[in-house]
Amino acid sequence: MPTVTMTVNGRAVSGEAEPRTLLVQFLRDTLGLTGTHIGCDTSQCGACVVHLDGLSVKSCSMLAVQAEGAAVTTIEGLSNGELQPMQAAFREHHGLQCGFCTPGMVMSAIDLVNQNPTPSEHDIREWLDGNICRCTGYHNIVKAIKAGAEAMAAGGKR
Amino acid sequence: MFLRPRTLREAVEALAAPGVGILAGGTDFFPALGERKPAGAVLDLTAIPELRGIEIGPERIRIGAAASWTEVIRTPLPRAFDALKAAAREVGSVQIQNRATVAGNLCNASPAADGVPPLLALDAEIELLSVRGERRVPLGSFITGNRKTVRAPGEIVTAILVPRTIEGPSSFLKLGARRYLVISIAMVAAILEADTTGRVGQARVAVGSCSPVARRLAQLERDLVGAGLEEVGARVEPRHLDVLSPIDDLRGTAEYRRDAARTLVARALEAAAGGFLQ
Repeated sequence: MPTVTMTVNGRAVSGEAEPRTLLVQFLRDTLGLTGTHIGCDTSQCGACVVHLDGLSVKSCSMLAVQAEGAAVTTIEGLSNGELQPMQAAFREHHGLQCGFCTPGMVMSAIDLVNQNPTPSEHDIREWLDGNICRCTGYHNIVKAIKAGAEAMAAGGKR
Repeated sequence: MFLRPRTLREAVEALAAPGVGILAGGTDFFPALGERKPAGAVLDLTAIPELRGIEIGPERIRIGAAASWTEVIRTPLPRAFDALKAAAREVGSVQIQNRATVAGNLCNASPAADGVPPLLALDAEIELLSVRGERRVPLGSFITGNRKTVRAPGEIVTAILVPRTIEGPSSFLKLGARRYLVISIAMVAAILEADTTGRVGQARVAVGSCSPVARRLAQLERDLVGAGLEEVGARVEPRHLDVLSPIDDLRGTAEYRRDAARTLVARALEAAAGGFLQ
């Protein structure tokens, strides 16, 4: 079985992965990082969004071996003891109900703010087209992201 | 077996063996696989530097086969490419646009591929490479049917080449059952070039999702030459859409598609004409 080496949440990691292992399976099953969720099998729901070399991707749409040498950030990599401002904003504004979509929502939202530090409500709703919330909690998710963007701008983004 | 070559030469040599499948962005590949294992060896093209990037030359623009939709959106390109950029924003979600390649959209050859009408309107050519050599095929002959292309088993699409033979504003309109993340019922790309008197000098119009392969509306393009920019939408007649062969399916009836396409063609032309004012 090939060995895959990548940087995950700032740490160099390597593990054995059958070539057909999806990145999301490698993160969850090999590395035990179960914060990245699997919500569908059609690359639509966005629960598995992680950052790959700084851009948001669906970790169900690529193989672990394709991430060889790349830098991956998952929801577990955001906090250094204190919640990252976007995470804090989701808690503050109740941007979740069951929480299943939340890791993907937060990772997607941070990529948005990295590209566009002052997104409008329309920008946020448009950006979230690849993240589905089954509790229909978009109203508070959008509020949380707006607040999270402001907090990231004020406190420096990570 | 998983192969991730670093050079194009290694890639075409590996592909000369039978039963090797090509993987790039993976956004069609993995969902189509479901729970099954890949049937044969998989050749990943994403580590080959020669396939990356978008080059802007004086005569033509070259979109590398591994270039993503996000790269198309972020690269400054002439306004004839605005239709392609608008289509890029409609391909799945942002995360899909970050991974999915333009070339993969063409090779997948869905009748509803958002990338096809804008590239047809741009007169794009497909560059193919195998151990036997290189060839170029116009996009209009590259895709031959639903999920069918002329790419031979040993060939890799290395680039999409766009000759700079039209300069002017362009537009892309798509109709789906909802606003986002949706398969097209009908879509239209239009590019207009003005002559020295401010009338239409050259027009290009392509319609997708209304035939097995997206089609240019050649008769309409001819009839638009000489039209005033304010009358381009009104010039569209039902006979101009006779080359289309829409089907009835769960997303809409043939009659609805034909009617929607005609409306979208007129609106796309008006939107492109509006680009002259900006």
